[in-house]
Amino acid sequence: MLDFLQAVSDGMLFGATYALIGIGFTLVFGVMHKLNLSYAAASIGAAYSGLLILKVFAAAPAWAVFLSAFVGGGVIGYLVYLTCFHFIPLSNPLAPLMSTVGMFLLIDEVIVHATNGMPQNYPAMFDDVMIRAGGYTLRGDLLLVFGLSVLCMIGLLALLYRTKLGLATRAVSQQPVAAQLCGIRVARVNAMTFVVTGLVGGIAGAMMGAAVGALSPVLTAPLTVKGLIVTVIGGLGSIPGAIIAGLLVGGLENVFQLYRGVTERDLYVMLLLFVFLVFRPGGIFTAKSGRD
Amino acid sequence: MKKLALAVSLALATTGVALAQEKTIKIAGFGAKTGPVRSFGVNSEAAMLAAADVINKQGGVRLADGSKAKMVVEFYDDRCTAEEGISIIRRVHGTDALVAVGPTCSNVAEPLYGILQKKADDKSDSGLQMPIFTDVAVKGGLAKISEWAFRNVPSEMTMYSSLFYWLKSKYPNAQTIYGGVEEDFAHSRASWYAVMKDRAEANGYKVLGNSKWLLADSNFATQVREMKNANADIVAIAAHPFTTCGVLKEMQRQGVKPKVLIGLTSSSSMETMQGCAKQAEGMIIPTSFAPVTKDGKFAAETTAKFKGSADLHSMAAWENMFILKDVIESEKVAGTKGELQADRRKIRDGLAKLKETKGLLGVTKRTDDREADKPYLFVHAAKGEWKVLHNPL
Repeated sequence: MLDFLQAVSDGMLFGATYALIGIGFTLVFGVMHKLNLSYAAASIGAAYSGLLILKVFAAAPAWAVFLSAFVGGGVIGYLVYLTCFHFIPLSNPLAPLMSTVGMFLLIDEVIVHATNGMPQNYPAMFDDVMIRAGGYTLRGDLLLVFGLSVLCMIGLLALLYRTKLGLATRAVSQQPVAAQLCGIRVARVNAMTFVVTGLVGGIAGAMMGAAVGALSPVLTAPLTVKGLIVTVIGGLGSIPGAIIAGLLVGGLENVFQLYRGVTERDLYVMLLLFVFLVFRPGGIFTAKSGRD
Repeated sequence: MKKLALAVSLALATTGVALAQEKTIKIAGFGAKTGPVRSFGVNSEAAMLAAADVINKQGGVRLADGSKAKMVVEFYDDRCTAEEGISIIRRVHGTDALVAVGPTCSNVAEPLYGILQKKADDKSDSGLQMPIFTDVAVKGGLAKISEWAFRNVPSEMTMYSSLFYWLKSKYPNAQTIYGGVEEDFAHSRASWYAVMKDRAEANGYKVLGNSKWLLADSNFATQVREMKNANADIVAIAAHPFTTCGVLKEMQRQGVKPKVLIGLTSSSSMETMQGCAKQAEGMIIPTSFAPVTKDGKFAAETTAKFKGSADLHSMAAWENMFILKDVIESEKVAGTKGELQADRRKIRDGLAKLKETKGLLGVTKRTDDREADKPYLFVHAAKGEWKVLHNPL
């Protein structure tokens, strides 16, 4: 029983990183109805960019690296928008999809060439904190990841429902033509969406690096798959859905691993995805509003 | 006008002489220069270029007619995928390259050897007749697939056998061992199940079990908990640097401190130090290279000038270049276009004849199944560096 509880809590806490990635996927999809498949790679790229601060200040603390990754994520997000969406005919749904696949591979290879594929040590906060209750333990650094993802969700919801940018974003998401007729600059809103999701991605990448303790380009592909699964299970376009699905997938993944082993683990996660696609294709939280 | 014609003739004659002097012997290199194992390809290429540079500065390689030729290296990126590796070798076969050195990954080497002619004299076998001299792919016993396949990689079976034997005397109280294995990587898997586990049992250790993870995994909490519950005296991690680091960091968090920590041969590289030097402190790994000899230091320094780092894999590529030079000279390779296939056969036969070769740690014995029995030593991670712990030879 203890093993089960431990596996669930470890997985759920680690699932917070999946949730953050899911948020990025879902936000772009919610606003533009497009999938940005380079998002997880960009997030890991942002985490790498956070390490650049260590080149200037070797003794920079972990929070400075995270902050640097956060800013880097915003910059990369804007660049992804420019290269994969702004100049691409969005009327053809395949064009931006393929451009983001290309961007995914490009970011991956840039990382590989910059580091020769070598894993990079990544700083963490509270990694020496371990909350113990008998044989049960909770990792301090994962609690931070969990807390940050909850904060991100609150921040994003506040941005969407309490600011002019949020109002414009929701307007573009629901009625892009009407929003344009009302004087909202759709391209600017789309760009801002990418910057915001990039910032979240920067945190997600940094938290992933901190949770593992090292960064490697091998993380990009599995994180993309996990992010997409979380987005579908949570409900395309739903931020709370992405959070819940992230925790659910993280927890179940660990339970599957505990009882069926690592080689079967992903098999059951995929089955879970199919179950949702068949019985609840809209995900846990189906988006209420439609779009023209 | 006459003067001009004379000058042109002289210039042409001089160029002709220069061209005649610039004979070249092309060696193809191939390995992963894309993806997470890029550093292996980068280091192998640097070592091959560095070795060729040294050979060429010493005058080059002597051909059958007594003339000298420069060694030229052309390196290809196989991306650690079998289809790319096979495609490269088919392409290289169509060029004037005499021999290919590579690949990085065992999952490339195994199918690649499969497209070569099985037996060198079997006329009914239309397999590729191209000598391959592998420097990195380390999964045991692969060269027996084809008589055109040769390897200069260490025998993990011998090295881990020797390591466990040595540990018996060094840590007499250590009785049990627990393994951690990267389940989806050919080398790691083979190293745990067929080598480490087997050799540990043969040396009297009780194997308490093993935990598994995948190459791209990022959460090792469950596996390390299993490791902790087993409470073994020795923990052996058969994984590449990224997941090795992930597991070591999780071991630190969960307070798993075995008496002895053993790593995979491929992890005795700078990658592990870059990813988790602090957590790897004390980890013992057998390796077929450390810059402890004069030749070894020179090879490492020269390779560094070509932006590569010296480890057991890249230094095998360095050794291969010098072995090939000796074989080309002893087998009287012509180095002409017309003799290309005959020269390849000479190199194959020359490599097959070798009973021993000169290595950077000492003499390497060649086995009948075209593998190497290389000298080795044990290194351990100490203050961010790999330092020699014991030389069993």
